[in-house]
Amino acid sequence: MPVSSPSAPPPLLSLSDVTKRFFNVTALAGVSLDVRRGEVHAVCGENGAGKSTLMKVISGMYAPDEGTLRLEGEEMRFASTQAAQARGIVMIHQELNLVPHLDVAENIFLGREPRRGLFVDRARQRANAQACLDRLGVAIRPDSPVAGLSVAQQQMVEIAKALSMNAELLIMDEPTSSLTDAETAQLFKVIRELKHAGVGIIYISHRLDEMAEIVDRVTVLRDGRYVATMDLAATSIDEIVSLMVGRALDDKFPAPTRRRADETVLAVRGLRRKGAFGPVDFDLRRGEILGFAGLIGAGRTEVARAVFGADRVDAGEVRLHGRRVDIRSPIDAIRHGIAYLSEDRKAHGLAVKMTVAQNVTLANMRAVSGRLGFIRFADELSAARRYIDALGIRTPSAGQVAKLLSGGNQQKVVIAKWLFRDSRVIFFDEPTRGIDVGAKYAIYELMDKLAADGIGVVLISSELPEILGLTDRVCVFHEGSLTKILETRDTTQEEIMHHASVRAPAAPAHAPTLQTTAA
Amino acid sequence: MNDRQKDLIQKFAALAGLLVLVAVFSTTSNSFFTLGNGMTVALQVTSIVYLGIGATYVILTGGIDLSVGSILALSGVVAALAVKAGVPVPLGMTLGIAVGALCGAINGLLVTRMKLPPFIATLGMMLVARGVALQITGARAISGLGDAFGELGNGSLWRVVKLDARGFPDVVFPGIPYPVLLMVVLAVIASILLTRTTLGRHIHAVGSNAEAARLSGVNVGRVVMFAYMVSGALAGLTGCVLMSRLVTAQPNEGVMYELDAIASAVIGGTSLIGGVGTISGTVIGSFVIGILRNGLNMNGVSAFTQQIIIGLVILLTVWIDQMRNRR
Repeated sequence: MPVSSPSAPPPLLSLSDVTKRFFNVTALAGVSLDVRRGEVHAVCGENGAGKSTLMKVISGMYAPDEGTLRLEGEEMRFASTQAAQARGIVMIHQELNLVPHLDVAENIFLGREPRRGLFVDRARQRANAQACLDRLGVAIRPDSPVAGLSVAQQQMVEIAKALSMNAELLIMDEPTSSLTDAETAQLFKVIRELKHAGVGIIYISHRLDEMAEIVDRVTVLRDGRYVATMDLAATSIDEIVSLMVGRALDDKFPAPTRRRADETVLAVRGLRRKGAFGPVDFDLRRGEILGFAGLIGAGRTEVARAVFGADRVDAGEVRLHGRRVDIRSPIDAIRHGIAYLSEDRKAHGLAVKMTVAQNVTLANMRAVSGRLGFIRFADELSAARRYIDALGIRTPSAGQVAKLLSGGNQQKVVIAKWLFRDSRVIFFDEPTRGIDVGAKYAIYELMDKLAADGIGVVLISSELPEILGLTDRVCVFHEGSLTKILETRDTTQEEIMHHASVRAPAAPAHAPTLQTTAA
Repeated sequence: MNDRQKDLIQKFAALAGLLVLVAVFSTTSNSFFTLGNGMTVALQVTSIVYLGIGATYVILTGGIDLSVGSILALSGVVAALAVKAGVPVPLGMTLGIAVGALCGAINGLLVTRMKLPPFIATLGMMLVARGVALQITGARAISGLGDAFGELGNGSLWRVVKLDARGFPDVVFPGIPYPVLLMVVLAVIASILLTRTTLGRHIHAVGSNAEAARLSGVNVGRVVMFAYMVSGALAGLTGCVLMSRLVTAQPNEGVMYELDAIASAVIGGTSLIGGVGTISGTVIGSFVIGILRNGLNMNGVSAFTQQIIIGLVILLTVWIDQMRNRR
């Protein structure tokens, strides 16, 4: 347990031996943590390690069953998140909590509107919002509607909102999960400025590699228990990962077992949709993993969805094994053996209220039903069990509701759905987003195995190490065009970033996508 | 506790509520727990069950159907007009049901093709169908339809009548009324279709996550269309049965019946967000409403008070459902 010497001022936040139980499940067991002013403190752990519960205790959503929470030495018991906010503890959730139809200023002061008599003092609201945005150095107008902002800009609005509450301790949950590298750089600049202003920041992220830039200390949790707190300078990603999972991970990516053949599985020519992408040409060969790299909004997802028939196209053709196919809807694509795993599992991939078995068979009901569409439940159950075993899906039973599974296991259920359909080409769109390290590795292995079995695999990923570690070739996208196809083993992160950031080869890399005022 | 167990508890809670109602009304009124009254309740509940099944299908896909009360009136008067014009009764009633299915298909097209919110699409249909029913009849009831027209609503199976010594009929067993028989058959078919077939699975999938279903190759438009057509056809059938019972076709029949249908589904545990609901639950929900009405009537509770009580029951059951889901 961290103990400060008597002469030093007490830390901004100090938790000691915090325990939280739900019925008879212990989510946190005697966790201690302290956060100093002007420090970025990362909290790491696999999914289910207790990070979320801990943050909810700190931000006042849960009251701890045991242990104490001290703010600058004073013991606190928050009755609500509002009570915690009143003392300057503000949490920014991964899923941002903004009202899309209101403008920026209205969002920042939602529920705390400055008033003049009975009415909202709109002029003052706007001026105050402007002041908060100025402190962050972002060029967002207080009167622009939130619905029109990018995710990165919305995040800045959330931070501005926290500043407007005089936040002293900011909790950021996966702040970079949907940001591009340039947007992440901008966020880090803002975080550094907050540090200088003496704000303490608790930072939760699955992206360990980016922590080095801003994090001062890191605390690792495992299975609801405190494992260690270290200065970041004195540790390494490998050490953090091994503490998180409790075992050493030699390789972050599995050694490939696949062999690329000269045979083209999928050929796309001149695929185009006005205002979105194209024309795009690429080939996918048998036994290879083809990467789609690029910034968010570069058109990678759009191209995949278009090939899959989920969105309309204006022109272009798709050939499967040399034969031209006409795909107008996902029904056509699936019939031809093309599958798409969407980047947003809960919104597009999984029927969350249905069971694991029902999700596995959803795309291929014909295989488990007889005449008149009567479902053969025994067949369905055995198919589901087969994939639960084959993919190592951790679920109490095939009848478990999908909603209750962890992110990694939900992703495996979606993969099982497409394997059960005998897909020949599978697009994986950000398959490891929000998934813990161990489960990620399992999914990497699975993708390699699929490619080895002759299935064409396309990996869309915003994480360059993932692209470099897993693919054979990379298609780099920039603002709707496929700018370059690279051999993975001959390229570098820098080269990919370069093609992702600029259209003209001569211009320098890293074009900022977030508008900023001159710092 | 998994969701299956939770569903069982929810179902038994509704069933237990139903039994409590029966027990209470049996003690407060001597004539409540009799064979004759049982038949009366069952007969009264039939129309709520027919419409409730349709409502369950539509609500399962995440929609709502406000037009069934009007569709049943239109279907009933179309059947009656056809019979009046010399069409045989079975054919006339089939025509009525077809009109109901057609109205449902239009609802489905408005929702799937024109992307109207189901509330608005079916609200429009509610006004249009009622208007057409009133227009084609001149807002007058159609009577003099003949005995054959009344057979569906008033006849029964296994009715045993003995003539006594003086030649007067003596009813030994009232028989099972055709509408009750139809209710049982329809509920069983609807339930099997929903739980045991691919189409039923797709209905659940669309209600659970329409986009995931679409990206899994489910023909979402067709599934939604089917649900609205079932609802429309069952409304058509309800119209024929109701008008047959009165042997008169009333263009003003069935006002606000859509609310009973939705209420029966909701009391039976169907989630208005879609994806969750059962036919057995809806049948129980229909009986809760029917028995409440019947029992309160027998105890001399005014119609106004009945409305208040049924309203409170709906609020209570939905609240219990919310509590269950929040955990």
